Amino acid sequence: MDLSIFQFPFMQRALIAGIILAALLALLGVFVMLKKMTFFADGIAHASLGGIALGLLLSFNPLIVALLASLVFALIIYLVEKKYQFASDTTIGIIFTGGMSLGLILISFKSGYQPELISFLFGNILSVGLSELWLIGLASVLIYLIVWRYFKAFILLALDSETAEISGYKTHILQPVLYMLLSATVVLGIKILGIILVSGLLIIPVAVARLSAKSFKSFVIRSIIFAELIVLIGLVVSYYLDSPTGPVIVLVGIVIFILQAAWSSLLKRKIIK
Amino acid sequence: MVDDILEVKNLSVDFGGQKILNDLSFAVKKGELVAIIGPNGSGKSTLFKAILDLIDYQGEVKVFGQKVRENYKQIGYVPQRFSFDKGFPLTVGEFLNFSSDKKNKKRINFVLTEVDMDKQQDKLLGQLSGGQLQRVLIARALLNEPKLLLLDEPTAGIDLEGEHDFYQIIEHQNKRHAMTILMISHEVNMVYGFASQVLCLNRDLFCFGHPKEVVTKEVMEKLYGQKVKLTPHSHLH
Repeated sequence: MDLSIFQFPFMQRALIAGIILAALLALLGVFVMLKKMTFFADGIAHASLGGIALGLLLSFNPLIVALLASLVFALIIYLVEKKYQFASDTTIGIIFTGGMSLGLILISFKSGYQPELISFLFGNILSVGLSELWLIGLASVLIYLIVWRYFKAFILLALDSETAEISGYKTHILQPVLYMLLSATVVLGIKILGIILVSGLLIIPVAVARLSAKSFKSFVIRSIIFAELIVLIGLVVSYYLDSPTGPVIVLVGIVIFILQAAWSSLLKRKIIK
Repeated sequence: MVDDILEVKNLSVDFGGQKILNDLSFAVKKGELVAIIGPNGSGKSTLFKAILDLIDYQGEVKVFGQKVRENYKQIGYVPQRFSFDKGFPLTVGEFLNFSSDKKNKKRINFVLTEVDMDKQQDKLLGQLSGGQLQRVLIARALLNEPKLLLLDEPTAGIDLEGEHDFYQIIEHQNKRHAMTILMISHEVNMVYGFASQVLCLNRDLFCFGHPKEVVTKEVMEKLYGQKVKLTPHSHLH
């Protein structure tokens, strides 16, 4: 593989952002799978269009505005769920469509073609600027630290919230914090894959890892390794094919998933025989 | 010194304008094994959730003379349903490790030995039989060395052999470790040989006391209608 493409500064920034975000999305993806929160992630991603549009309209960094908006959305989902005992998908559905509608209306106030908007919709890791790289780096470190500190508590919360409560964990704090961490991660991931495809990197690496993992520990490690592989191969392939990076990353992930699924079936057959 | 491990006074629970529990009062002393019986929808699981302060209620619940949240560490709880993704890669050992805020491999080994599951630590949770999973859930409830154990229909959905093992484990905890146990059961006849106290519930408290004294034909008919058949025997197994 010719790695000379990484001599370009924009490719170096894409590589660093990709490495940081792939691991972060895979790590949070573990909770998404455990707590069955795929729709939550997808809902937050789409709702964040409201924040992005507001940023574009105010000429303020859209990623920061979307990040802040996503934290508010996460809190609203938690509070509505708790207060009105709605199933979470109902609340997420409201936030999903509400945020998107708000975004579309705000964008209509700005005339002319919006290239930045397209890059947020479909992702463009090659356009990551230095300030965005710093934002991604700092926010990711903060998220990693919180997840690392409360890892056991989050796992137990995702597995069985009643037991988490009886075990003495403050679930009324941990639950919204987990929602906010996931929301922030999804919004950061939008930079690589865009609003529409970001869930791909949350779900595909953990799905690949689940096919072969024999313990939770190996599941987490494999999820992160597969996420890194998917992003790295996707970056290189998209460069040489001159195709949009986000969709290529997702398709690379799906190819790896199919290969792993076939390999796992083969191994199972061998064991049975 | 608090004699009563659990004290419930005038406990009522309403949900959606409907009375689920109505003015219950009772107290449980140390070392008792209390069977809670009643028909479906009689509020048995709700009673546990109120005792554990997991739902809103009126009245007073005290565990070891204090609010329950101050004593969570002394309570073990096995819920009626533990639904999880059976294909999820989580071993028995990891499950117990995540269930305790302390890192205590020794204790995990000990509780798994208590329920005869110590050799299954590396097995995936989704590969266990119903009876084995139940034993792992009991092991989890024992992790913090509780003084009070709440079991919600623990034998539902497990085979006869699993049920037999289960009763042995619970008897061992009660007699050997002097653990106070409250157990919701659908097995009405079980109470005679197994429980030291019985609590009959159907939104109201119908009986509370020694099984042979309080579980009468009249009480059972009031509780379950005419369908129930009592076959008292000294021990289940």
